[in-house]
Amino acid sequence: MAATSSPATEQYNYDIVKKFSVMALVWGVVGMLVGVWIASELAWPFLNFDSPYISFGRFRPVHTSAVIFGFGGSALFATSYYVVQRTCQTRLWGEGLANFTFWGWQAVIVLAAVSYVMGYSQGREYAEMEWPIDILIEIVWVSYLAVFIGTLMQRKQPHIYVANWFYLAFILATALLHTFNNLAVPVGLFSLKSYSLFSGPMDAMTQWWYGHNAVGFFLTAAFLGMMYYFVPKHAGRPIYSYRLSIVHFWALSFMYMWVGTHHLHWTALPDWASTLGATFSIMLLLPSWGGMINGIMTLSGAWDKLRTDPVMRFMIVALSFYGMSTFEGPLMSLKDVNALSHYTDWTVGHVHSGALGWVAMISFGSLYHMIPKLWNTPMYSQRLINVHFWLATIGVLLYITAMWISGIMQGLMWRAFDDFGNLQYSFVESVAAMHPFYAMRAIGGMFFVTGMILMAYNCAMTIRQGVREARGAAQPAVAAA
Amino acid sequence: MSKLKHEIIETNAGWLLVATMLAISVGGLVEITPLFMIDDTMEKVDGVRPYTPLEQRGRDIYIREGCYTCHSQMVRPFRDEQLRYGHYSLAAESKYDHPFQWGSKRTGPDLARVGGKYSNEWHVQHLIKPKSVVPESVMPNYPWLLTTPLDISDVGDRLRALRATGVPYSANAEEYRRNAERFGEDVARQLHIPDAQRNLVAQAQAGNFDGDRSSVTEMDALVAYLQVLGTMVDFRQYKPEDLVKYR
Amino acid sequence: MLDWLAQAENAKPLGLLIFFVTFCLIVLWVYGSKKRGERLEEHKHIPFLDEDEKDEANAHGKKEINPDRTHLP
Repeated sequence: MAATSSPATEQYNYDIVKKFSVMALVWGVVGMLVGVWIASELAWPFLNFDSPYISFGRFRPVHTSAVIFGFGGSALFATSYYVVQRTCQTRLWGEGLANFTFWGWQAVIVLAAVSYVMGYSQGREYAEMEWPIDILIEIVWVSYLAVFIGTLMQRKQPHIYVANWFYLAFILATALLHTFNNLAVPVGLFSLKSYSLFSGPMDAMTQWWYGHNAVGFFLTAAFLGMMYYFVPKHAGRPIYSYRLSIVHFWALSFMYMWVGTHHLHWTALPDWASTLGATFSIMLLLPSWGGMINGIMTLSGAWDKLRTDPVMRFMIVALSFYGMSTFEGPLMSLKDVNALSHYTDWTVGHVHSGALGWVAMISFGSLYHMIPKLWNTPMYSQRLINVHFWLATIGVLLYITAMWISGIMQGLMWRAFDDFGNLQYSFVESVAAMHPFYAMRAIGGMFFVTGMILMAYNCAMTIRQGVREARGAAQPAVAAA
Repeated sequence: MSKLKHEIIETNAGWLLVATMLAISVGGLVEITPLFMIDDTMEKVDGVRPYTPLEQRGRDIYIREGCYTCHSQMVRPFRDEQLRYGHYSLAAESKYDHPFQWGSKRTGPDLARVGGKYSNEWHVQHLIKPKSVVPESVMPNYPWLLTTPLDISDVGDRLRALRATGVPYSANAEEYRRNAERFGEDVARQLHIPDAQRNLVAQAQAGNFDGDRSSVTEMDALVAYLQVLGTMVDFRQYKPEDLVKYR
Repeated sequence: MLDWLAQAENAKPLGLLIFFVTFCLIVLWVYGSKKRGERLEEHKHIPFLDEDEKDEANAHGKKEINPDRTHLP
């Protein structure tokens, strides 16, 4: 990548932020396209094309890894490196190490995707990477922690701004979860295959402790860090209540780690564990909504920005989806609701209202704020941002509505009895009934990915414009691409 | 006192790290550690045994193809699931499952008790082209399973790795003797690592899972695995109250 | 003492008590004193202290869509 920054901007290491931002866009497009593809496979199964490499079972982890770790992860690396520098008013510590986190992380995503389609998988959701990739992740992650802490230590501002607390909790928790959930015995030094160290209920417990906290810390706490910096910054107003953000942080960090067992209601896991998980899930509503209110109220007195600024709209809609999913989540963790909702598409819808509505939208908003600053030029097209906003919103709404209907319908069909006390529907009747909703979900996804592609185009044009201007303004000594 | 504390935390990266680490560690510790310490997590039932080499290779293929993304292996204690799938799943039934495959989604039906419900021929037909036996199915076709010979070169290594995680495959005469006491001579023979390849081929040929005795294919292994799922425990031996206390 | 702690029926309420008290202390600490509250709320301005020279000069005289600095105290 060409160094486009003049020495005057060397105050901060923007180069690493730029690299991660670009890759967030790339993985966003790739991961969401694969998502639309597998959604379409469920609606129109011929799309599997009898190929082992793109059959649903192997392709689905490609989607989840590319969007969570590729898109989400790169967006988090980019924003955390940006935020920690600017709120500490210091340059990023460990330039070489930061670069290593970039190349290491990109290698992780590529290797993961290739290994899945080749048939290497640990068979653990969101942790399908086999052991050599897991070790690489571990090394990258420790480097990330070192860079982050190193930067915090050399800060010029005595107080550590709250956004960094959330990023730090995310880095620590991810390290902890990743380490314990991937304990496995490899078949051989030169074999990619390994077997999980734990089995049965213990393995299930460990996996969902990881699984839900990947949501809690990777997809929530970290993006809250993003929110605590970019929403106030973009609104030009400080966060509504700093004190609330402190309470929000400690309550969220403490409570999230308990809730994973709500994925295992009514299973062979002992009841007390899943009841405990449900209890904490309900309590978690309070800090979650505290955070949402804190974010939204930041805009109080400047609501007109919602009308004029599509980037602000992305952020506020993201917070609204955050509020909605964190209400829906506790609801679904109730044992009686879970009895209906579990194993159905309702869960898939819930995940996507969080992942598309909250995670992706807050990332879009933050990237739209950050990219013009990184390349020192305004966005290429405000109109395209606006179009993206509507495509994304319609896409999410189509997606989650389809999944609500199909999920509840599945749940009801599976448990329906006829007058004689027999099951009313065979399983495959419920499969057939899903078809229109699977089609609708795929179409919702197409809306969303179209918006994502527009964003990538808009950002590419912005970057080109920024590079051209920098070259024009700078002395000939500046290296060109 | 608390005043002092928080000021330290918010202005000192090291203390912030320690306090955050404490806050995030408690939940996992409280929920996970008891499972490893409490004896009552698993029901005491007879019949559950490690998979034979062929079944284990089938399980590897089940994981490779990502079957868990659409099929659960966990029957819940509800009347409709009892009627549709059978007795609810016990913790003990997955005690040799590394990793567990309880799943989280039923795009297709639960498979915890699919063993013995359909013939081998049905499974082969269904895996090659699901729509040929279930017209409404949205499952992909898996034609390559029947044409790909099963790689049995490292089956011993695989069982050795599983043995390292605690599955009682036997590597020597002493372990074999213990298995014979515990599971009976027939099962113990299947669990003996030095004989793994021979046992695998013998079971595939005797079972004739894919309808072709001339070679051992991936289809043989996967069908053998599917046919054993949920069949190890004989539930006629137990009264509901024997099992419910472990929940 | 340790034996007493090792029993789940003792350890659970004790844990609950400890964490509940900790939580109350944090809330009290955060909201308890007006002066401390004001000091804490000061930190919310940190994101606005970070303008580098480039933003300051706004190199090519372009108008930012969003003037960050308007709300600085």
